[in-house]
Amino acid sequence: MVLTVIASLLWSWMLRQRITHRNQEMQRELSERQQVESALRESEARFRDVTEAASDWIWEMNKNLQFTYLSERFYALTGIAPQYVLGRTRWEIATIESAADRQKWRQHRDTLAKHLPFRDFVYRTGIGNRHNADRYLKISGKPIHDDQGEFFGYRGTGTDITEQIKAEAALRESEVRLRQIIDLVPHMIFAKDRHGRFLLANQATAAAYGLTVQELVNHSQRTVHGIDAEAERMLADDREVIESGASKQIAEECFTDHTGHVRTLQTIKIPFNEPGLSETAVLGVSIDITEQKQAKEEVARMRLYLKNIIDSMPSVLIGVDPWGYITVINQPAEQACGISWETAQGRFFGELFPQLEGQFEQIRQAIHLGHPIKTPRMTLEDQGEMHYADVMVYPLIADSASGAVIRVDDVTARVRIESMMVQTEKMLSVGGLAAGMAHEINNPLGAILQGSQNILRRIDPAMPQNRATAEAIGIDLSRLNRYLEQRRVLHFLEGIREAGARAAKIVADMLSFSRRSESRFVPVNVEDLLETVLRLAASDYDLKKKYDFKHINIERDFDPRLGVVHCDKTEIEQVILNLLKNAAQAMAADNISSPTILLRTRYESRWALIEVVDNGPGIDEKTLKRIFEPFFTTKEVGAGTGLGLSVSYFIVTEQHRGRLSVTSQPGKGACFSIRLPLGRGALS
Amino acid sequence: MTGWVLIIDDEEMIRENLKAYLEDEGLRVAAFEAVTPALRWLLDGSHCRVCITDLRLPDMDGNTAIRTLHRLCPDMDFLIHTGSSNYSLPEDLRTMGLDNACVYQKPLSDMAPLAAAVRELVLRENRP
Repeated sequence: MVLTVIASLLWSWMLRQRITHRNQEMQRELSERQQVESALRESEARFRDVTEAASDWIWEMNKNLQFTYLSERFYALTGIAPQYVLGRTRWEIATIESAADRQKWRQHRDTLAKHLPFRDFVYRTGIGNRHNADRYLKISGKPIHDDQGEFFGYRGTGTDITEQIKAEAALRESEVRLRQIIDLVPHMIFAKDRHGRFLLANQATAAAYGLTVQELVNHSQRTVHGIDAEAERMLADDREVIESGASKQIAEECFTDHTGHVRTLQTIKIPFNEPGLSETAVLGVSIDITEQKQAKEEVARMRLYLKNIIDSMPSVLIGVDPWGYITVINQPAEQACGISWETAQGRFFGELFPQLEGQFEQIRQAIHLGHPIKTPRMTLEDQGEMHYADVMVYPLIADSASGAVIRVDDVTARVRIESMMVQTEKMLSVGGLAAGMAHEINNPLGAILQGSQNILRRIDPAMPQNRATAEAIGIDLSRLNRYLEQRRVLHFLEGIREAGARAAKIVADMLSFSRRSESRFVPVNVEDLLETVLRLAASDYDLKKKYDFKHINIERDFDPRLGVVHCDKTEIEQVILNLLKNAAQAMAADNISSPTILLRTRYESRWALIEVVDNGPGIDEKTLKRIFEPFFTTKEVGAGTGLGLSVSYFIVTEQHRGRLSVTSQPGKGACFSIRLPLGRGALS
Repeated sequence: MTGWVLIIDDEEMIRENLKAYLEDEGLRVAAFEAVTPALRWLLDGSHCRVCITDLRLPDMDGNTAIRTLHRLCPDMDFLIHTGSSNYSLPEDLRTMGLDNACVYQKPLSDMAPLAAAVRELVLRENRP
């Protein structure tokens, strides 16, 4: 559209140039003819021949300035019959309307009254011509004198310039119209020569420079453009177009307008050969895309913002069209399938998330019914491990396209915690039951344990009482002992003792699963408590016999700010002893060359932190997740009941309202952290 | 050897085993299945330094038994040997000098620590 307008404008401009040119030619012809005319005075016959053949007409008027002669060409050129004209003065046939007309005629009559020559007087006449419209006549004339030098009248030539005037008027009109159009266009339209001088500019261009069109045209861009660098860049583009002769599209360029506002323009420049100028110029249109660009950036920003929001969600989100092809996925989904959004787009969701393929029916239904469809606790398998996920399919209704979003929430942790809570509840009821019958169980266990201890003691040949009794009844106690050994009676007795001890341990562990009053809580110095545990560990049967506790380096890193903690001393001792045992066991199993346990305490504003850090084989992630579950054990069957850590967890979290956590990496040891709440006066 | 050790427990095998172990340690032990016969024995003029008592007894509860015995023999020390897991010492027994260390949880897989405690109390000079 814009280029069409420019083209028309150029066309009209070129037309006017051509008409001006033609005028000049005519002028030239006329003067030549005047020479011929003077020559013709010598020969009337030749004069007549020539006048009849000329493109202009010849006129004569008498001393009263009335037309006396019109050559034949007059009628041919103007369509006015000579009888309307002959015998009348020029002003009698003229159409005089405006004040300017009257002024013009006053001057002309003045000239005639003074018998002066005149050139190119243009006037209008409406008298009886066949066109039925005013004709524009242009005449030149000079006075004629008789032989005595007496004024005799005027003689001259005339030409009909009606068509030319009309063409010029039409051209002017069309030029004004085109001017209006290009000024109406909000884009900048301009033409510049190779030196950067504006040959043409529309209102928008001029306004951008804070000037009027008149002020801008014929000035160099260098003098009107505020930012030199911008001007030079634009002029370089101009020169490139002029020199290459090829158009250039500039997708984006900066333009600082006269108010200092930086706009973004999209510009097309084409080479432009101006008639009358030997040099090629450049014609350009610049479209202000500042707002479009801002809008585009805003859309991009919004898109990024939304992407960030959906990425920040922990749920796996998969957007699909009604046929199950992916439109968008968020970051957790990218991680889940290992493929980026860009790559995933357009692929079938079941291909990337095979475990969810069964949800296709739900997608179809959700879109059809217009409400979300839930699949709670879907079981998924990931690398051989069971996962639970709540899956929800939301229908999406956009302007035209519909689709759905599949939301997948991994609820494995919650399911585990719930099952752990169920377990804990179970343990609590076990604890309650155990507490109720502890007395009944512990008495027979006491009889078993104490009985076997007494038996072992009373067959010991080293004991004087035994020897005395044996002697009295005539038995050799050493031989009896050999007999008991050979028949493995001592072994069985030891078995009874150990079995009793194990049963007692289980009962004691089960008893731990009961919420107790805090009446057993006493202020305990943490350092003293840890030293007691280390002493206990050193004398612990298992640790002494199986895990060589004395070969383990014990390091202490105690926070002096930590003083007294209110806790059930025995229970916490048991918890820490249990952790030491586990560490010793793990390090022994892995044959760690210099097994080390670090006992560390820290004062944290609300907590007393006690950490047991080993340099053992560490714990893998799978085990870490379940380590505090009751009856979860990594030890071989029979080596542990799997109650140890869950009991510790229960004691710390339930009975002491503290925290027990573990961090570990395979091969890098493990760190168990006990946090016990600090009451008032806990600081020493 | 000075003084007797008194054992009150209604579980015969517990009673017998403790008695046997302490006797092997060279202590004089009197064992009863309830408080009443023990009281009768004491009222008959026996002098006892240490009493190991269960808390669930056929004729009275352990705390009452300790109070009763304490009134009768104010210089007697008490050790508690109980099968119940949620026992906590009443305040008046604490003022009598008992603490959590005096409470032994059944079953005892090793009687040595109890025996050591008994020996220490028996050998101790009269309390001020």
